[in-house]
Amino acid sequence: MKSIEMQAVEARYNDVDAVYHETRDLRLLGFVFFLISDCILFSSFIFAYVYLRTSAPTWPPFVDGHQLPWFDTSYAALNSVVLFGSGVTMHYALENWKHLNRQAFYAWLVATIILGLAFLGGQAHEWTGVLQAGVTWPGSTMGASFFTLTGLHGFHVFIGVCYLTILGIQAHKGVYTGSKYFGLTAGTLYWHFVDVIWVALFFLFYLW
Amino acid sequence: MHAGTATHDTHDASSHIHPPPEGFIAKYVFSLDHKVIGFQYFFTGVFILMIAGSFAELIRIQLVDPNGAIMSHSVYNSMFTMHGTAMVWLVLIPLVTGAIGNFVMPLQIGARDVAFPWLNMISFWIFPVAAVILFSSLLFGSPHAGWTEYPPVSLQDGTAGALWCMAIFVIGISSTMTGLNFMVTIIKMRAPGMTWTRMPLFVWATFATALMNMIATVALSAAVGALFLEHVFNVPFFDPSRGGSAVLFQHMFWFYSHPAVYIFILPAFGIISEVLPTFARKPIFGYKMIAFSSMAIAILGFTVWMHHMFPSGVAPWLQIPFMILTLAIGIPTGIKIFSWIATLWGGRIHYTTSMLYALGFLIAFTFGGITGVILASVPVDLHMHGTYFVVGHFHYVVAGGAVMGFFAAIPYWYPKATGRLMSEKLAKLGFWLFFIGLNGTFLPMHWLGMEGMPRRYASYAYFAKAFPDAVFWNRFETVFSFFMVASVGVMVFNLVWSLKHGKPAGINPWGARTLEWTISSPPPYYNFKHIPEVYDRPYNFDKPLPYGNLDNVVDVYPKFGEIVMPSPVPEPVGAGH
Repeated sequence: MKSIEMQAVEARYNDVDAVYHETRDLRLLGFVFFLISDCILFSSFIFAYVYLRTSAPTWPPFVDGHQLPWFDTSYAALNSVVLFGSGVTMHYALENWKHLNRQAFYAWLVATIILGLAFLGGQAHEWTGVLQAGVTWPGSTMGASFFTLTGLHGFHVFIGVCYLTILGIQAHKGVYTGSKYFGLTAGTLYWHFVDVIWVALFFLFYLW
Repeated sequence: MHAGTATHDTHDASSHIHPPPEGFIAKYVFSLDHKVIGFQYFFTGVFILMIAGSFAELIRIQLVDPNGAIMSHSVYNSMFTMHGTAMVWLVLIPLVTGAIGNFVMPLQIGARDVAFPWLNMISFWIFPVAAVILFSSLLFGSPHAGWTEYPPVSLQDGTAGALWCMAIFVIGISSTMTGLNFMVTIIKMRAPGMTWTRMPLFVWATFATALMNMIATVALSAAVGALFLEHVFNVPFFDPSRGGSAVLFQHMFWFYSHPAVYIFILPAFGIISEVLPTFARKPIFGYKMIAFSSMAIAILGFTVWMHHMFPSGVAPWLQIPFMILTLAIGIPTGIKIFSWIATLWGGRIHYTTSMLYALGFLIAFTFGGITGVILASVPVDLHMHGTYFVVGHFHYVVAGGAVMGFFAAIPYWYPKATGRLMSEKLAKLGFWLFFIGLNGTFLPMHWLGMEGMPRRYASYAYFAKAFPDAVFWNRFETVFSFFMVASVGVMVFNLVWSLKHGKPAGINPWGARTLEWTISSPPPYYNFKHIPEVYDRPYNFDKPLPYGNLDNVVDVYPKFGEIVMPSPVPEPVGAGH
C-alpha cells in the first residue's frame, strides 16, 4: 500500500503529455549537441595553447629578458574546489526538484549561484595577481592562451550564473512542474559541462 | 490505409497543425517555415553568387594582359580574396545546406518542419548580416591575404582583416546552428517507419553534412576568433615575431576548411543520388554503400587537413600518414562514382536538364577528384602547391562538383517549390554554356600550372617569357569564363520567366518516388496533412510506392512526364479540427 505522498508524487510524474515528451526529446538532444559544439570551441583554443607551449623554446617564455612566473597552483586548487562544490550543489538542487522538495531546491540553487559567483571573484583576484606578475594578455603567448581560455571559461560561468538565476525565477513563477522541468535539466547539464571544462584547464595551466 | 487515419491522428502528437502565419512579415520576412527560409537562402545566395562571380571575371580580365590589364596589384589581391571568401562561405555553404537542405530535407523525411524553426530563422538572418560585414570590409581597404587569410600577411590588413574575421565568425555561428538543427531533425523527426536505411540518400548526405557543420565550424570560429583578437587587441597567437605560430593558424583553419569542402560537396552527392535513379528509372545501385560512404567521407574528412600544409614545413613523419589518409578518401568517393555509373547502366535515361547536370557532374567531379589524388602525393604537391594546377583542381571539384550539383537541384525541385516547370530549352542552353565554360576556363589551368604558372599573382610577365603560350591560354580561359556568366544569366532569367510562363507541374512531374512528390506543388505550409508511413526505401521503380497514410491519391507506379494534379486537399485548419 502506497502512502498518500507517494501517490501524489506519482501523479505529478505522470502529468506528461505526448507533445511535451516529443519537444523535450528534441530540446534535450539539441542542447547536448550545443554542448558538444561548445566543447569543440574550448578544444580548439586548448589545442592552440598546447601547440604554442610545445613549440616554444622555453616555457614560461621570456619577456624583455625576464622569464615569466608559473601560475599559483594552490590558489587555483582552492578556487577549483569552490567550482566543483557548486557542481555538487547543483546536482542536489535538481534531485530535490525531482523529489518535490521545493525549499531544499531553492536552497541548493542559491548555494550554487553563490559558489559560482565566489569562483568568479576568486578568478578575478587571481587575474590581478597574474597581471601584477607581468603576464599580460597582449604581452606573451602564455598570457594570450591563459587569459583567452580562462576568460572564455569565466564568461561561461558568468552566463551560467545568469542562467541559473533565471531558472530560479522561472521555477518560482511556476513554469516547471514535477515532471516538466526541461529547463532545470539543461541548466544542470550546462553547469556540469562548465565544471568538466575547468578540469581540463586546471590540469593544463596549473599541473602541467 | 486511410481508415486508420483517425485513430492515428489522435495519438500522433505531431499531428497538431498550427494556424497559418498571417501578415507579410510573419510569412515572408521572419518566417519560421523551412520552405520560405530555404527560398530566402536561395535568393541571398544567388545574389552573392553574382557579386562574387563578377569579382572572378575582374580577375580573368586582369589576366588577359601578362602585365595586368585593368587593376593595381593590391586591388587584384583584394579581388581574389573576396571572390574566394564570398564563394565559399556566403554562396556554396548557404546554397547547398541552407537553401536545398532546408527546402528538401524536411519534406523527404515526412516532417512538418525542422526541429527548431526559430533557430532556423536566426540562422538565416545572421547570414545577410555576415555578408554585409564582409563586403563592408571593401570600404576599409579590403583583406588581401587570400580566402585563407594566413597570418602574418593578413595581420597587415588592419580593420578590413578584423571585419573579415567578424564576418566569418558570424557565418560560422549560422552554419553551426543549421547543422545542429538538421542533426536533431533527422535523428528525431523522421516519419514512422523511416528507418535509417530507408532514408532518401539526400537525407543521408545532409546528415553527414550537418555533423561536419556542427563540429568543424566551431574550430573555424576559434581560429578566426583568435585572429580577430590578434587584430584588435594585439594578442600574440600567430605572430612569429612575438612567440606565436603562423602554422598554428593553418592547423586551426584547415581542421575546419578541409571538412568545409565536404560540407559543400556532400549535399551535391545527395542531389546526384536523387536525380540519377529518377531519370534512369532504375533503383540506385548500392544504396548502403552510398549512404555509408557519405559517413566515411565525413569522418575521414577530419583526418586529412594537413595535406593543405605540406609546403608549410610540417614534419615529414606527419606528412606520410596525411598523404595516405588523403588517398584513402578516394575510396569512398570512388565507391559513389561507380555506384552512380552502375545506376545508369541499363537504365532508361531521360535527358532532362537535371540529368544533364548530373552527368556533367560525374565527368567534372571525377576529373577533379583524380587531380586531387595526384596532389595528395607529397613530392608532387610540393611542386604544384603554389601553381594554377591547384586552382584548376579546386574549381573542377567546386564549380564542376558542388555548383553543378546545385544547378541539377534547381530544375529538379523548382516544380515542387513553385508548381511550375522550368523552361527545358533555356535550362539546357544554360547547361551547355556552363559545361563548356567550365572546361574551357579550368582545363588549361592544369597545364599552365604544370609549367609552373604561380597562382595569386597579379601579373605573369616573367612566366610568359619562359612559356609564351601562357598569354594565349589565359585569354582563352577569359573568353570561356564568360560562358559561365551567360549560363548564370540564362538560369536567373529562366527562374523568373518560368514563374509566370512555365507549364503547370502537378504533384510529380518526374515520376520520382521520394516523399516530397506525394504532396501538392507548392506544398502547403504544414507540408503533410497526415504524417505518412514508410514501408521501404524509395528507389525500387518496379514496386508500388512504399508509403501509407498519404494526403493525395498518387500513382503507385509513377511515370515520367505524367502530369498529376493534386486532389483538392480540404483545409485541415480551423474550428472543425
